[in-house]
Amino acid sequence: MSLTEYIGAVGMNILTPDSSHCKMVRLPQPVITNTELDTLCNIRYKGFYTEKLPMLFDPSKGEQGLSDALEELCREAERSVDKGINYIILTDRGLDKDHAAIPSLLAVSAIHHYLVSIKKRVQTALIVESGEIREVMHTALLLGYGASAVNPYMAFAVIKEQVDKGTLQMDEVTARHNYIKAVDKGLLKILSKMGISTIRSYRGAKIFESVGLSGELLAKYFGTVSSSVEGITLKTIARDAIRLHSQAFAQPQTDLLPMVGQYAFRKDGILHAWTPEAIATLQIATREGSYAKFKDFTSIVDSRKEPLFLRDFFTFKQNPIPIEEVEPEEEIVKRFVGGAMSFGALSDEAHETIALALNKLGSRSNTGEGGEDNARFHGTKDGVSLNSKVKQVASGRFGVTTEYLVNASEIQIKVAQGAKPGEGGQLPGYKVNEIIARTRHSIPGISLISPPPHHDIYSIEDLAQLIFDLKNVNPQAKISVKLVAESGVGTIAAGVAKAKADLIIISGAEGGTGASPISSIRYAGVSPEIGLAETQQTLIMNNLRGAVELQTDGQLKTGKDIISMALLGAGEFAFGTAQLIVLGCVLMRKCHSNNCPMGIATQDPELRARFRGKADYLVNFYTFLAREVREYLAQMGFRRFQDIIGRSDLISIDTSKMDEKTSGLDFSKLLHRVDSPAAISKCRDQKHNIFTVLDRELIEATRYAVENKQPVSLSYEIVNTNRTTGAMLSGHITSKYGSEGLPDGTVNVTFKGSAGQSFGAFLAKGVEFRLEGEANDYIGKSLSGGIISVFPPARSPFEASENTIAGNTILYGATSGKIFICGKAGERFAVRNSGAIAVVEGTSDHCCEYMTGGRVVVLGETGRNFAAGMSGGLAYVWDKNRNFDYYCNMDMIELSLIEEKARKEELKALVEEHYRRTGSKLAARMLADWNHYLEEFIQVTPIEYKKVLQEEAIRKIQQKIDNVQRDY
Amino acid sequence: MGDPKAFLTVPRQEAGHRPVYERVCDFSEVEQVLNEGERRLQASRCMDCGVPFCHWACPLGNKAPEWQDAIYHGDWELAFKLLSGTNDFPEFTGRICPALCEKSCVLNHCIDAPVTIREDECSVMEKAFAEGYIKPKQYERNGKKVAVIGAGPAGLSAATRLNCLGYEVSVYDKMQKAGGLVRYGIPNFKLDKYIINRRVDFMTQEGINFICGTKIDLEKLPEGYDAYVVATGTPQARDLDIPGRDLKGIHFALEMLSQQNRILEGEKFSQKETVSAKGKKVLVIGGGDTGSDCIGTCHRQESLDVTQIEIMPQPPKDFNPATPWPYWPQVLRTSTSHEEGCTRRWSLTSNKFLDDGKGNVRGVEVERVEWVPSPDGGRPQMVKTGEKEVIECDMVLLAMGFLKPQHPEAGGNVFLCGDAKTGASLVVRAIASGRQTAAEVDSYLKDK
Ligand SMILES: Cc1cc2nc3c(=O)[nH]c(=O)nc-3n(C[C@H](O)[C@H](O)[C@H](O)COP(=O)(O)OP(=O)(O)OC[C@H]3O[C@@H](n4cnc5c(N)ncnc54)[C@H](O)[C@@H]3O)c2cc1C
Ligand code: SF4
Ligand code: SF4
Repeated sequence: MSLTEYIGAVGMNILTPDSSHCKMVRLPQPVITNTELDTLCNIRYKGFYTEKLPMLFDPSKGEQGLSDALEELCREAERSVDKGINYIILTDRGLDKDHAAIPSLLAVSAIHHYLVSIKKRVQTALIVESGEIREVMHTALLLGYGASAVNPYMAFAVIKEQVDKGTLQMDEVTARHNYIKAVDKGLLKILSKMGISTIRSYRGAKIFESVGLSGELLAKYFGTVSSSVEGITLKTIARDAIRLHSQAFAQPQTDLLPMVGQYAFRKDGILHAWTPEAIATLQIATREGSYAKFKDFTSIVDSRKEPLFLRDFFTFKQNPIPIEEVEPEEEIVKRFVGGAMSFGALSDEAHETIALALNKLGSRSNTGEGGEDNARFHGTKDGVSLNSKVKQVASGRFGVTTEYLVNASEIQIKVAQGAKPGEGGQLPGYKVNEIIARTRHSIPGISLISPPPHHDIYSIEDLAQLIFDLKNVNPQAKISVKLVAESGVGTIAAGVAKAKADLIIISGAEGGTGASPISSIRYAGVSPEIGLAETQQTLIMNNLRGAVELQTDGQLKTGKDIISMALLGAGEFAFGTAQLIVLGCVLMRKCHSNNCPMGIATQDPELRARFRGKADYLVNFYTFLAREVREYLAQMGFRRFQDIIGRSDLISIDTSKMDEKTSGLDFSKLLHRVDSPAAISKCRDQKHNIFTVLDRELIEATRYAVENKQPVSLSYEIVNTNRTTGAMLSGHITSKYGSEGLPDGTVNVTFKGSAGQSFGAFLAKGVEFRLEGEANDYIGKSLSGGIISVFPPARSPFEASENTIAGNTILYGATSGKIFICGKAGERFAVRNSGAIAVVEGTSDHCCEYMTGGRVVVLGETGRNFAAGMSGGLAYVWDKNRNFDYYCNMDMIELSLIEEKARKEELKALVEEHYRRTGSKLAARMLADWNHYLEEFIQVTPIEYKKVLQEEAIRKIQQKIDNVQRDY
Repeated sequence: MGDPKAFLTVPRQEAGHRPVYERVCDFSEVEQVLNEGERRLQASRCMDCGVPFCHWACPLGNKAPEWQDAIYHGDWELAFKLLSGTNDFPEFTGRICPALCEKSCVLNHCIDAPVTIREDECSVMEKAFAEGYIKPKQYERNGKKVAVIGAGPAGLSAATRLNCLGYEVSVYDKMQKAGGLVRYGIPNFKLDKYIINRRVDFMTQEGINFICGTKIDLEKLPEGYDAYVVATGTPQARDLDIPGRDLKGIHFALEMLSQQNRILEGEKFSQKETVSAKGKKVLVIGGGDTGSDCIGTCHRQESLDVTQIEIMPQPPKDFNPATPWPYWPQVLRTSTSHEEGCTRRWSLTSNKFLDDGKGNVRGVEVERVEWVPSPDGGRPQMVKTGEKEVIECDMVLLAMGFLKPQHPEAGGNVFLCGDAKTGASLVVRAIASGRQTAAEVDSYLKDK
């Protein structure tokens, strides 16, 4: 990724190369210091011309003043371009009592779009010199709307002041440098979330979603055609700018700026959804089991003076019926499920309590993305299961074993999280203790990073494949897909529904965790209302809604929230923060620091001992919520919850709650009902094509062997329409014997031919697959103890080690087992492997990416970016061309020759096994002259892992010493 | 916030009180202070909560997490600025506020050891005076005049705010000096009067005009002002209308407390006027804070012994399930005056005062009562049990609270403020009310 830019006029005729194309300034990053800006303004060099245009307007003229100023600014910019100016600097430095600053984003975007419209944009660079710019998001927005570089002079001035006062104890240059570095990092993060890798592709790309701006404003100044809920116009912007301006010049001046409580509650600050009263009342109500107090809670939340969420404007059409006629609480409560919160982020105690409560209610709790201790799969407390019924499969695939999956009633593919879309989860090393490491199949103390994407989902077809994989391993489980509310989510959801998901989750931006990065808390994701409405409408239009259930989350708290979301189309509801608050969370927002004083989001034993939550509190919460929902249903005249799903016509908008800012909102798109006979709520099941898979035959053929743990050998032809072979069999074995599986070598199957995708996925212990032929992508996905070998047909004429025999992303998320490939494999070999052993004769790019455990032996070339993000396990690479270091990503690893005896023995044993299982000619050659070849191997050791290995060695020595002393 | 784990590694440390044997011999402040290092360590315990319940509970909305952090970093000037942004007289509240914030502090909830917010508050202000961070300012005048009647904390804070906004402010009080109950009620051993003098001097330097010793007839407000703030407090104490009330030796608490404070300021009273507990057996009727101030004062006046009775039942000791966190806990409170020694009894009603034959009180007949839950869920009902006894005493102090004054509906340019508006309350609420009233006055006068 890169933030380097070349700014200036792009030559007019790009087809004829000449020196005019080179009149550019290279910027290493888009944030420039005052000195750099000065230099830019004063380049005395032929062909570089700069001009400053003030971004100011006359506050006494109000809205007209602002719109005139914008128009004038656009024309000025045009004149500058005509004059040949190739660096236009938009500045608000001239601000004084009579001149207010035009919001810089508005100015930049207006000029950018104006110049584009008259085809004069590329002749100049727009540079913004503004006091407004402070946060990463400010810079990102300016760049995204066309700025080439920004100068946050106020931020620099603040830094200078802090340095002068001594509050920042470093010199100014370093401090400024640190600020720029921080912004750079933030920008990179934002870019990567959007799948963009250079700032040049990000500039002017406008990949933002604006919520609450009117279509008129968007069209005129932001080059966007539609607005989801409409909203403010230039008038409000002018009013706000003028108010701030006059505040700045008002008397008397205080020396401190007000703290408005952006991230923490302040009485005089901005509104927060969770107020101290709401938290306290909810906790007391659920602790004491008092429905009356719970009603106090919901009325505190629902009667908030100023609306915070779009749903706060909703009221429902009434048509009361007696409450006795409405379906019982026990039915309604099953629609409430626990939000995905990983055990790891949460303490053991908290995680178990949630599972217990939801199991008591007959609903479902969610493991989150960190796996689950297998003791819980069958463990009970007071007769209630501790097993989380929803098992999440996230990009990191932590803890995703066959055993984990077969113990699920729902398997959830987490594509994104509402509060931090596009970001992988991260568990800092200090939170990874013994038990978490065990469930995640990693090593205590080593940070766990989930890759941003699923490496087996790059398209809807891929997703369909993953759904198929999961459905095979556990045919009883529903498969759900978690998406985040954003524009276009409807289309994605339609694809997901066609990929045969049973349930789609639309996750709203509001469901933030205290562990999300600050830039994500405020600026990422959109309201669940918008995403949900769009999804519902698109699914109906494609007649898909009937086949899938829709679930939503995003700070749902009260019966009114539930009804609102149901009317927009949701049939199930997930709760995150609310659950934790019931269990004692006081929103201290220390989740990321492992210091949660309530013992909820921490692994510190001392703090965990403070956990005071009880499953009964949660049972109360959900029951009360269901009771309130039932009351609403009675008032609205519906006997079954099912009947209100998608009935957005029952919503009326309470305009009395609207103020100057919100009065421009238009809910018609949100509440639109598709005119179609298609079902508006779930009424049928998806048809999964898992009835004729090869595994059905395998299960039949191995039935006796599996029952009696007797060895059996079978042989089949295979073709590439046989997908996910072995998963259903493994699921079958694992549900019987758990992770123990069968004794080694019990089920032996030889396949001949070309295997389809996900060959040997989830393969359980005791199952050995031999494939004579070739295989597609995803072999050994989430391998759980089985052994796979792939080799070319006996009489094939070609050199196996020179040819690719297996596809991409092999062993993704494998936790144990072995794979031997006689030939080369594709990209991302052993990505996120956390315990499996592999031998392969060459790979393409990104081998061993994000690996946290296991062994990989590559007897040949590797492609670029080897070992990126690798934090555990070891790799041995035969560096036959002596250039391996060039292909390696050295960020987290160390290279060495193979020195230790144990390592040498291990490698030799693996090559021998490779030979034994595949008959590899290359392996044979090597073994014949082993000492020679051994010297050509390179060992790849992750730095973090090295420390762990050394500690282990020392522990062993210490043990020996202890024993010796005892003998005396 | 310092070390995020400080709340576990650094124990809460209160500055503590001077030893009883020493402090009962004088009227100096009972509470001690920590040194600067210890204070900063205490401040480091604050977790800078996402939802700071301390801030929510403080009637002034003091932003404790912000200034705790400043203290921790040793930036006392910043701490002072942050604190004075919401509180006009932290040196008062820092000494005598019951610290609603600390009861609601998250650390009180989870480890029963809140941040020492009140003491930290006090130290910030003392530092500000000592280091000169607080300097009188002159404000541009806007030509409008406001009269504040009553120089208690409510009136003083309204005056301060209005003065900052450019109004010309005159403060009237019927007493000789400004301060209200803080000066003439709260004993010196809780708050030294020098603290008030320092503040009043400061306000004078900022241009506020004090007109003391002038009782204002609220029906006829002084002329020449654009607006009036009435902050006259609750002058009427609740009386105990039972047989024998006119015997000698029965006083309102404030008669004694106020006189003691005035004596300490050098005023002289004749033998006849003096209300002294010296050598007497004292009975304090009323179990609240005023009662407890009477106890401390009696000790210092060398009384023989003191008994305090209360009509309500004894509250639970440490935790009251009826008032869970983050709400103010209704539990048994033991003040420094109680520590100095006294008999405390509950569920006793007083039937009559007994005469020693010479017109002096010689005891009180009390009767045990029971409180039964009311059938309709309202307040519990009091039931007399008939178990009577006599508590011997030769002095009775009535500390049963104050009556909410009946003011004619204020309106137009007259604004009620402080205890005068709400009934007897706390200094922190009085200040909050003063600030709010100033804002109301300002928005009323701004466009006139
Ligand atoms: C003994 C005692 C101890 C207390 N201890 C505490 C404590 O520890 N902590 C705490 O927070 N609170 C305490 N309080 C309560 C606190 O003192 C009051 O709530 C607070 O002082 C009320 O402030 P105020 O400005 O509204 O009224 P006051 O302080 O009562 O001030 C009213 C002022 O108005 C003047 N005035 C009245 N009528 C007129 C008139 N007609 N013309 C001119 N002037 C007039 C009075 O002389 C007085 O100065 C205590 C109260 C008492 C009685
Ligand atoms: S004024 Fe009282 S309640 Fe407010 S912060 Fe200070 S001590 Fe706490
Ligand atoms: S509640 Fe306590 S710990 Fe939290 S911010 Fe307030 S003082 Fe600090």
